[in-house]
Amino acid sequence: MKNINIKSILIFTGLAILGTSCDKNITEPLKEAYIPTKLDEKAGTWKTYILANSAEVAVAAPKAATDAAYLKELDSLKNKILPVLTPTNKDAIVYWGAGAVYRWNEIARELAARYNLAPAYNVEQGKYPVPDAANPLEEPKFPFANPPYTARALAYLSVAQYDALVSAWNYKFKYNRKAPSKNDASISALLPVSDLPSYPSEDAVVAGASYTILVAMFPGEVPYLDSKLAEAKNVRVWAGTNVPSDISAGDALGKVVGAKIMAKAKVDGMSAANNQTLVAGQIEAAKGRGVKETWLSQESPIRPPMLPNYGAVTTWNFDKATMAKIRPVLPYIVGSAEWQKEFEELEKINKSQTREQARIANYWADGAGSYTPPGHWSREAANLCYENKFSEVAMARALALVNTALMDAGIACWDTKYYYYTPRPQQFGLKTSVGLPNFPSYTSGHSTFSAAAATVLGSIFPAKAAEMNEKAKEASNSRIYGLIHFRVDCEMGLVHGAKIGEYAIARGKADGSGY
Amino acid sequence: MLYESELYHKKMKSFIKYTLVGLMCATSSVYAQMPHDAIYMPKQTYCIAASYSNSSWKEYWENTLKRDNLNMGKVTTQSAMLMVAAGITDKLNVIVGLPYISTKTSAGNLMGQKGVQDASAWLKYKLVEKSGLSLHGVVGASIPVGNYVPDFLPMSIGLQAKTATGRILINYLHKSGMYVTGHGSYILRSNIKVDRDAYQADNRVYNTNVVGVPNATDAAARLGYMKDGSRIQAEIFVERFTCVGGDNIRRNDMPFPTNNMQMTNAGFYAKFQPKNIGFNVRVSKTLAGLNVGQSLSYSVGFLYQLNYFKKEEKK
Repeated sequence: MKNINIKSILIFTGLAILGTSCDKNITEPLKEAYIPTKLDEKAGTWKTYILANSAEVAVAAPKAATDAAYLKELDSLKNKILPVLTPTNKDAIVYWGAGAVYRWNEIARELAARYNLAPAYNVEQGKYPVPDAANPLEEPKFPFANPPYTARALAYLSVAQYDALVSAWNYKFKYNRKAPSKNDASISALLPVSDLPSYPSEDAVVAGASYTILVAMFPGEVPYLDSKLAEAKNVRVWAGTNVPSDISAGDALGKVVGAKIMAKAKVDGMSAANNQTLVAGQIEAAKGRGVKETWLSQESPIRPPMLPNYGAVTTWNFDKATMAKIRPVLPYIVGSAEWQKEFEELEKINKSQTREQARIANYWADGAGSYTPPGHWSREAANLCYENKFSEVAMARALALVNTALMDAGIACWDTKYYYYTPRPQQFGLKTSVGLPNFPSYTSGHSTFSAAAATVLGSIFPAKAAEMNEKAKEASNSRIYGLIHFRVDCEMGLVHGAKIGEYAIARGKADGSGY
Repeated sequence: MLYESELYHKKMKSFIKYTLVGLMCATSSVYAQMPHDAIYMPKQTYCIAASYSNSSWKEYWENTLKRDNLNMGKVTTQSAMLMVAAGITDKLNVIVGLPYISTKTSAGNLMGQKGVQDASAWLKYKLVEKSGLSLHGVVGASIPVGNYVPDFLPMSIGLQAKTATGRILINYLHKSGMYVTGHGSYILRSNIKVDRDAYQADNRVYNTNVVGVPNATDAAARLGYMKDGSRIQAEIFVERFTCVGGDNIRRNDMPFPTNNMQMTNAGFYAKFQPKNIGFNVRVSKTLAGLNVGQSLSYSVGFLYQLNYFKKEEKK
């Protein structure tokens, strides 16, 4: 009897365990569609980055609301498209409902993460091969979307979105075509409809501009981006918020603006950013500045430093003379009493890193296979815009300010790194819990990126200023806790980043937006 | 098992003096401290085992590409494990264990990790036994005890997943002492939380700190010999561990808890426990794998068997 009981208990337990349908689904925060708090009617007058103004790219007038062609579009929406939506169509509507700028930035971060892997050493060639834009899917894949590359991709993406949307706003209020459901009350849209004129479609403008930038930045992803573009455009028709003529005008405008922005990107100096022939001269110059012990790659085999000439890439919000003026000084060198004190701080962490230090180091690591620190802050910015129910054009503006500040931070920080060429703590025997970046130490890229972005975000969202500052400080400290930076690298990086952010804020204050 | 039970009844009186019951006190690799034999502790006896394991690899499978990595050199995992097994009845045993683990590399600058890993508990029950052939049901569960970092692979000491395992084990013991054992298991593994709030897996970015660890199966076949109960035991084995789904390590990337880890190991195990004190040794090598290191592992264990549950039995 006893045995039977035990047996049945055991069998029951076994079945219970085997039958447990433990939930393995990964749920991400739901992003519901919203009606923006402001229409930003005057956004057509806001200062553009690269376009001369919002009328540089022409958009033809749409057909009148009474025109037979337009009525046919409305009829098709009502009777042919909306009644036959599939569950897949509806999922796509919900997904894109979060916003075009929001989703396209998320897509860009995903691509950055996908391509953020350092090339493997090639034994036959006896070197680390350089990714080739003409063969993006060959190993090593092009691009290596490291932090400078990603900062740049995000900056051009946001600038293209912003310039295209400012143009779109100009034509929206010039032509004043109402949304389908406002022209025909019997159309019930599946996404919220504001009073924003619907021609050209802001979602299609963002899609066309984003697509154009991203296929240039991630040339191996054309099929993926094609499908995203098609879906982004279709969704607004499926949702009943636009007719096809709104979409095609928006897509065309976005693509033309995107091409103009990309033409500017092509000549910004990025193609020479990996000029390794400059390195010997940089080391000599750093020694001339008093740096006795210079940086050495800790990888085996030795890997050439990441983008030694990225500092020469064109900045957005200040010129090169200003960049040289705000470049941090090097307060002390290896072997000094101050350096010794900071080294001892790291030695202590090396010996007994706390779990909380590890947590902070991990949270901000944003290393290989991630969307990098610029992606982290860009995400922070997009989420803040979303929470504050920004219009598409206001969100693009905020992201352009943040992402150009991030790219400026990358350029100015890389300039500083190769100006001083200082060694990492690992050159003195320390380990790391986050992985060691392969470029000089001073100043910390994380600190510079973080302070720049936090400063801009604090200006756009004053209620969040203190929180953003705290986050930037934590991101900065994370590099000490992860043992890959000396404290001076981080603290001077924070100061530098905050200055860089101020230039983006000044640009924002003068752009006519009134924000 | 017949042999063992007979012995048990015959020599009841000398039971304290002689430990006749073999116990799965062997610790295997970090992810497989699993009861996988058909040997039982008699009722009201228990065994304490302390073991040391060492597992290391220089080459690993990055997806299917077998490679080395000069920035890690040799990766070594050492563990010290304490296990207690007890006979609730002659047919039902419970086994609990807790390992302390440390990792290190011989090259590069990745920081070694160390700490208490996951507590595990197993119930093993003899379902049927006839003419030397026996069928056993085993259920197990493990729960992380230490607050270690799970996604700093390959340095992490574990994955932080809670697990539940269901296993069917079949055994044939010939009168000569030769035996064959086979088992198959399904291992449920919970989602885990990581310190970051976004990560890449399956070629996409997940904007959350929750990471899906794939479920897994394991199977093994053993051929061995035991004498005097299982006072002397030796066997060779093949083991196969396979994740159910999961992604692959990307080119030149680090491993991640979502990876589809698979491996086939072969090895040798022996136990010598003349009285209540004994020891065991285990050696195994990874023959094939996916998203794992090609490990050479060994462990040595010290066993101490007691039956203090019922004092009157001492008489």
